[in-house]
Amino acid sequence: MSLRLRLLLLIGVSLSLLWGGVTAWTLYNLDRQIRNTLDQRLSMSAQMVAGLISQNAAAWDAAAKGNKRDTLLLPAGKGLACQISSLRGEVLARTAHTHPDATRSEALGFTDLTINKEQWRSYTTEAFGLRVTTADRLSERNQMLHDVLFATTLPFMVALVGSLLLLWFGVKQGLLPLEKIRQALAGQAPLTLSPLSTQHIPKDLLPLVSSLNQLLSRIEQTLERERQLTSDAAHELRTPLTAIKIHLQVARITEGEEAKTALDYAEESVARLQHTLTQLLTLAQIEGDFCWDDGQSTSANEILKLAIRDAAPQQPERVQLGAIATAQLALPQALAVTALRNLLDNALNYSPANSVVRVETQRLESAMCFSIIDQGPGLQPAELALVTQRFWRRSSTKGSGLGLSIVAAIAKRFNGKLELSQHENGGIKATLHLPIQR
Amino acid sequence: MRVLLVEDNELIAHGIKAGLRAHQFTVDSVASAAMAEAALATLNCDVLILDLGLPDEDGMKLLPRLRAKGIVLPILVLTARDSVKDKVMALQRGADDYLLKPFDLDELVARLHALQRRVAGRCVDLIEDGPLKLNPATGNVSLNEQPIALSRREMALLAALMQAKDRILSAEQLKDRLYDFSEEIESNALNVHIYHLRRKLGGEIIETIRGMGYRYGGVKQ
Repeated sequence: MSLRLRLLLLIGVSLSLLWGGVTAWTLYNLDRQIRNTLDQRLSMSAQMVAGLISQNAAAWDAAAKGNKRDTLLLPAGKGLACQISSLRGEVLARTAHTHPDATRSEALGFTDLTINKEQWRSYTTEAFGLRVTTADRLSERNQMLHDVLFATTLPFMVALVGSLLLLWFGVKQGLLPLEKIRQALAGQAPLTLSPLSTQHIPKDLLPLVSSLNQLLSRIEQTLERERQLTSDAAHELRTPLTAIKIHLQVARITEGEEAKTALDYAEESVARLQHTLTQLLTLAQIEGDFCWDDGQSTSANEILKLAIRDAAPQQPERVQLGAIATAQLALPQALAVTALRNLLDNALNYSPANSVVRVETQRLESAMCFSIIDQGPGLQPAELALVTQRFWRRSSTKGSGLGLSIVAAIAKRFNGKLELSQHENGGIKATLHLPIQR
Repeated sequence: MRVLLVEDNELIAHGIKAGLRAHQFTVDSVASAAMAEAALATLNCDVLILDLGLPDEDGMKLLPRLRAKGIVLPILVLTARDSVKDKVMALQRGADDYLLKPFDLDELVARLHALQRRVAGRCVDLIEDGPLKLNPATGNVSLNEQPIALSRREMALLAALMQAKDRILSAEQLKDRLYDFSEEIESNALNVHIYHLRRKLGGEIIETIRGMGYRYGGVKQ
């Protein structure tokens, strides 16, 4: 449900209930008051007639005693009747044009009658030997009641409709800044995210807009990085592919030794392509949610042995091990071996042939620290900052440029740490912290 | 045709060199922008093939610098950068052609020939002088409609002389067309090729200008 609809429903229903309740209450009270007032008027008019007669009782007495008198007919208003009779029941006077039954009453006080499908309400009183009855036609009474009630209800209804209209307009205007933000977000091109304008935005929405802008800029950076990565990856895959293609074409148009050399080069290019693809896949798996848990216990000692066997199968003597601290590592064996092997690979490949690479370990409180120190030419401080970037490498022909990215990704995934620094002997000191089981 | 290849990936450079040599080109390759500049300063070559991602400098920066130095030879950019922006920028900065990796060897060869004949002011591959016809792209030579069998170097020598028309080419210039840096040249190699050409096409085909070099002399009508 939209915010606007919620607001409209919430306030609109509350307003309608409130106004409706007040109107109903007013109408109920008014109805009762008017009926009482009209009844009072009926009884007062009967008593007034009786009072008037009492002023000239002698004339009425004579009239009452005379036997052969015609009934006196009184003029009367529409819907109103009156009858004066003797206590014996003889009608002395009554209003003209009204049905005689309307004022024929047996009991004193108020009575409701139905005559010729018309409803009457009458009041009878006795005074000075006369019985006076006055009656109202109820349809007249109800008509008047309706008129009064309608006149009272109308302003309430107009006010209610007016409030609802104002409410609709107010909510629409009030939510306009939100609508503007929505439009600005919906109008973002998928490839270029631009920050939202903070002009004409109410103060209480500013935190929201600035959070949105921060998010947008983070997404933009991620997108840019991904674009760069895709372009780099395309370049990295195209280069060996180009070499494969050209050597195969050369092999086709040449013969003998030349063709054989071309095929050898093509095979070497395939091997490089395969290496790059494997590294990319490993990196994607480490950074993705691939499950690595192989359930194997991973002692630091064993991992080092495996990594050295993988990195220097021909010359294990080039790796010089210091004292190995014992610890169980809290990460899958395959990844720990990959990380250490990549560091050893770099150390062995980028230092003089037959030079020694030193490996030291140290057990810290919550991590195992592996230090790998080579005797190579080292790196410039600017280069040190770049080494873990994907596809970065010193010369464009050696390696895939992903080895250290993989180590850094493994360290990041398991809350470890990778640091590279210039060692005092000129080589590189790589320090890898891996978490240990407690 | 002599080509200078600037490519830092060893495997690709090997492949292009082998492929172009198989198509009768003379190829030298260097692996950096600095080496390319040094080579251009000393070498007589007809076309430059330039990779953009060089280790010491981006090829995109090297391009305008070469043009500013007054180097007019055709430059073909050979790169994996496939965006329209890169293509436009390279062409605007002085490249004459742009080819994407991975490419077909045949296409590279055809483009190099196209660049070459445009520089020579021709619009077809055929070099003609009366009854003598030479097609540098296919390597076919004919005299009076009769095909003549020439070796790769004889072919390159004849093409260089015919393209130069009346200009005199020195022995050094001619050797540059025939041999790349990696090849060992015997002292009389050029004379041997000239001897063979004269034997196959007539003695007046190449004039020897004493102390200066050689000139195309034409064929007997």
